[in-house]
Parts: sequence; structure tokens; C-alpha cells
Amino acid sequence: MKAKVGVYVCECGPNISEKVDIDKILETLPGLEEYREIELVVKRFGLLCSGDGKTFLEDEINNNGLTHLVLGACSPRDHDKTFIGVCKKTSLNPFLYKIINIREHCAWIISDKDKATEKAITYIRAGINRVLFQSALLEKKLDINPDVLIIGGGIAGMEAALSLAARDRTVYLVEKDDHLGGKAVLLGGLLPRQGGGPAKIREKIESVLGNDMIKVYLESELEGVIGFLGNFEVIVGSPGDEEKKDLKVGAIIVATGSGLADPAILEGLDYSKTDEVITSMDAERMFSKEGKISLKSGGDPKSVALIHCVGREEKGYCSRICCNYMIKIAGYLKDQSADMKVTEFHRGLCLPDKADQGFQKEAEGRGVEFKRVRELTITGTNVRYEGMDGKSEGLKFDMVILAPALEPSEGTEGMADLLGVPLSESGYYQEIHQTTNPVATSIEGVFVVGAAHSPKGITDSMLFAQASAGKILSQLIPGGKITPEIKVSEILEAYCTGCGNCLDVCVYGAIYYDEGRGISVVNEAVCRGCGNCFGSCPSGALRTKHFTNTQLYEEMREAIR
Amino acid sequence: MEKTFVPRITSFLCTWCSYTGADLAGTGRMQYPTAIIPIKVMCSSRVDPVFILKAYLKGSDGVFLGGCHPGDCHYEVGNYHTRRRFAIVKKIFESLGLEAERLRLSWISASEGPKFARVANEFTEKIIEMGENEAKKKIFL
Repeated sequence: MKAKVGVYVCECGPNISEKVDIDKILETLPGLEEYREIELVVKRFGLLCSGDGKTFLEDEINNNGLTHLVLGACSPRDHDKTFIGVCKKTSLNPFLYKIINIREHCAWIISDKDKATEKAITYIRAGINRVLFQSALLEKKLDINPDVLIIGGGIAGMEAALSLAARDRTVYLVEKDDHLGGKAVLLGGLLPRQGGGPAKIREKIESVLGNDMIKVYLESELEGVIGFLGNFEVIVGSPGDEEKKDLKVGAIIVATGSGLADPAILEGLDYSKTDEVITSMDAERMFSKEGKISLKSGGDPKSVALIHCVGREEKGYCSRICCNYMIKIAGYLKDQSADMKVTEFHRGLCLPDKADQGFQKEAEGRGVEFKRVRELTITGTNVRYEGMDGKSEGLKFDMVILAPALEPSEGTEGMADLLGVPLSESGYYQEIHQTTNPVATSIEGVFVVGAAHSPKGITDSMLFAQASAGKILSQLIPGGKITPEIKVSEILEAYCTGCGNCLDVCVYGAIYYDEGRGISVVNEAVCRGCGNCFGSCPSGALRTKHFTNTQLYEEMREAIR
Repeated sequence: MEKTFVPRITSFLCTWCSYTGADLAGTGRMQYPTAIIPIKVMCSSRVDPVFILKAYLKGSDGVFLGGCHPGDCHYEVGNYHTRRRFAIVKKIFESLGLEAERLRLSWISASEGPKFARVANEFTEKIIEMGENEAKKKIFL
């Protein structure tokens, strides 16, 4: 049977009709019939995207028994969906239709009407030639599981769990320690010290433990993951316990928190457990347990140096939260003894939140000294520094408290490997886009929140957790289905040599190696259809649906004929 | 009278950035020659080296490849792969004695309509200077 291609050129009001000679297009195109052995129906219409236009197209498809449809109109970004909708009302598969953008690419780019018309003809011809080689594709719908696995029971993990449980999602909260609350529960006080403090964190822990929708697994770890958004199967186990739990979830939230850099990375610093140099976390725990900060040798310190930015240069990023909490620690010390000499050595303060600067001014008012320095070395509790004026000076303190840089928590690499989520240069998980999509990762259905994402305080950790819960609640609706991408890649078994190039270039982990058959296989539910694997395949085994070599080749061939 | 040479430049544009940038050039009524025939692909990384070679041998006077800026790829790293492959293609062209100058890769974001128009103008001008692609007459595959 001859293909019967309907070609309709939209006037788009004056937009196309005044700039392109539509009648000439209509006269020229039928020349293709013989060349391609096809039958053409070629017409013009005022405004195809209007109600009348859509009815017109629907009737044309039905009455003429069109096998393919090509529209010379506007940008697919404007009305591709409109015309796909028209196709869906008829028997014509939407993948056998193509819109050719003769408005943005012909009518509007050149004032010479002949040239614009010539390009429009070429462009439409190329489109006709492509559409002839397109295949009908069918949409698939998959059932989804709305439950969620959360790895890490710190403040971010707990917040996400509570948000999801509030909408009746079953949440599996896996924590490797023997308690919930992560680092936040160890703190002596929370900013801005307006009361509540650690009790607020303990309240959250109680809410999580008391929630029937949240199943908490302490001293447990994620051991295996397979699947994709809506359909993950995970294995959770405890070290030393033979029995594993197999869970089915629709999404995974990584909330594994942050670690602290080893202060030994600060050059010239003699950090050891014996002298009076401690980290901010040591100070927090001490304050939390004893209500004050004491010397290791006993007694209260009379002078304390607080050192900011320990390891910032080595790490290559600002840890965001240290300036704030160091001022908070200065507050603990001033509460302890108003006469104590407290000096903060910093490299420029990072105080981004609305209350922060007032907080710093308040500390200054209480006699906390802020010294901005260029260079700094610490020997024992002696601090030698070069100020901004270039002058060097040495000061002796009873105690030194360090603010080490935050760093990816232990086990991040292994976890990233398990989940297939890439890591960024900093060693933290790589999000889809730092600014516009910070919680999602390249593995659809896997989210990274809290300090596992990047250095973060409690406020931001909570926000990220809530953001991920929002994404999951809107993506995975109980009883709902997801429509996976149809224009995916596939691998032809007969051609595949199993070289694995495609596995290496796929950031979505959509391709796996089938040992039994010795070939690579695409998981169509995970593939996003970018076609990068195609570009990497040396044996011609890959096919990207709706963007096959033949389709692009025929389009190109006609475009340059 | 000799017919004026109108080159045909096969232009593979990624859906997310450069195609949208080209749309914007149109919306902004920026003028550029009609030599550029866009062929939309999902990602510039879909265009493998062999395809670029094919487009050239079939007679494209120029082959243009447009992708998102490094770091902005809709598929995260596709354009990095494109960049490497494009470098290889250029080397292959040089070693085969083909005209690597007929190939061009540009990063054009969805908001860079003016850049698309500028690149289209520049590249077309260059191709007109170079004249018709002789390769199609010489080589048969």
C-alpha cells in the first residue's frame, strides 16, 4: 500500500502567510509523489491550532485515511502537544506525525520571501522523508509503589519520613547507628538559642518512633538496590545478622548526613587528643553533657580561641554553617563566664541568614573579639596569625576550638556506587542541577537531602527533606501509574558485542550487562532517550526509538538534496 | 550567468538548548541565512562521529552541531561526550585529508537566540568562502 501523507501548512495568521509563499509550497511538494512513490494530500489552513483547525485536521486524517501527517507550522515547543492530541483522537499513531517549524526557522529569520519559501520547501520535504521512516510507538503504563526508603535517621531523614507518613506513605527508615537524631541530637543548643534547643530534636525522634507508618531499622544498612522510579526492590541488612529484609519501594531518599574533616589536615596544627585543642563537635558534646566547656586538665578556661575555616582551602568549599555555630559556642563560653576572653579567628564571615548578623553583633557586644586573618598557625594553644594589615602576632590561649570543614560522610562512595548516583568533584552527591533541581539525582526516584547533599545546617536540611517529600508525593500517587519515556534506546542482540561502552556513558544506569547472553541490555523504564549510548556504540547495535539512524539519515539526505 | 552558491548546512540541534535557542533567534526576528537546515535530536551526544562523516560525504556543505553549554546538559554529561567525539571526528577528517573546517560545534543555550544567529551567519559565510563541498563528487561509499 502506498503511504498517504497529509501535508498541511498553517498560515499562522500573517506570521507565515506574509513571509512565505504558501501557494508555491503547495505547488512544489506534489513533485515528491513520484520520487518517493507516495500519495500526498497538500493543503493550507488559517490557524491549525485553533478549534476549527483541530477539527479540520481530525477530519482530514479520518476522511483521507492518512498514514502519515506533516505540518508546516510553528515550533514544536508551542503546539507539538496540541497536534499529538489531535492524532490521539484519530487512528493515526502520534509517532507518525511531525511538525516542521517554518515559522521560527523560515518566516521569521529572513525578509527575502523567495529564500524563506525555498527553505520552507526543503525543510518540509526533509520532514516528509523522515516521517515515512518513523514507526508507530505505543505508550506504556506501569503500576507504582508509593512507599519510600529513607537512608539515614538524622534530622533530614526524620523530617522527610514525617512529611511522607503524614500522607499515608509507608516509610522504611534505615539508620546505621543505634539511635535516631544524627548529629543534631548531639548538639548542646540550636540556633538562634531561643529556647527549646535539643529538646526539639528529641520531640522529632519521639514522633518518628510513635508513627505507625514509619518502620525504623536501627543498626542497619542498605545492601542492594535494583529497579527504577515507582518500582525499586531494596535489601536492608545489619552487620552480623544473616537475615536480610527485602523491601519494595517507589522512591529512595539519601539522608546520610555529613562528616567532619580531620583537623590534622590544617597545616602547622598540632592537633592531638592530649592538649587543649578540641573540635566544635567535642565542644558541643561537652556542653550538652555537662552544661559547660572545661579544660581537659580540669577547670574552666580563661581564654579561648575559636578557629574558623579549618580545612576550607584544602577542601575547596565553604562549609556554610561554621561561622554561625562558632558564634553560638562563643555564647556558651560567655554564659559560662562573662570575663572569659573569647576570640574568633576567621577568614571573612559567612552569615547569610536574616538573624545571623544581629547574632554576631550581639556576641561582639558581649566582648567576643572577631579577628579576620590571612594566615594562621597553631602550636599547642598558641595562635600565630597574620592580620589583614599584614602584621603578624602571636597569642596564647588556654584552649583552642576548631571548626573543621564538613565532608561527605563515611561510606558515601559505596552508597553512590550502590545507587548509581554520581559524585561531584567535592565528593558529595551530584544533584541534577545545583540551582533549579537540587534534590533530585540522575537516577529518577533517588533524592539526596540534608548534609549528604552538601554542607548544610539544620534549617536547610529540613527544607531539602520537605522538598524531596513534596516531589515524591506528587510523583507517586497511590494507585497511580507512571508513563515511562517511549523514545528510548534499544540494543539489537545480533549486533551487540558486549563491549560495555554504552554502560560507561549512561548516567542513568539504564543499561546493564547480561552475562548469560554476553550483551548489553537497556532497561526501558529507566532510559531517558538521550541517545548518548548510540554515539558510543561501535558495532551499530544501538537504536534510539523515534531518532533512528534511518530516520535522521533520510531527513538529512532530503534536506541537502 | 552563474548561479549563486546557496550552501546546505546540516545542523543537528539538541532539543533542550540549541533548538530552543534557534527558535528564540526566530522569535526575536534575528536575520540569518537560510543555509541552516535544522535536524532536531534529543541530545547532541546522539550524533555519533559516523553520522557527521555521512552528512559530509552525502554533500552537506557544512555540518553544524549545537548542544547545551558544558555543565548545562539536560542529560547531565551528554555534551561532554559530544565534545570528545567531535574532537576525534576533526582529527579523523584531518587524517583523511577531508575539510575539518566544514564542521562546527557550538554551545548555544535556550536563551541565546542572538548567539545562534551570529554563529549561523559566521558559519554560513565561511562555508560560502570555502565553496561547494567537493567530497560528494569524489567519494563513493
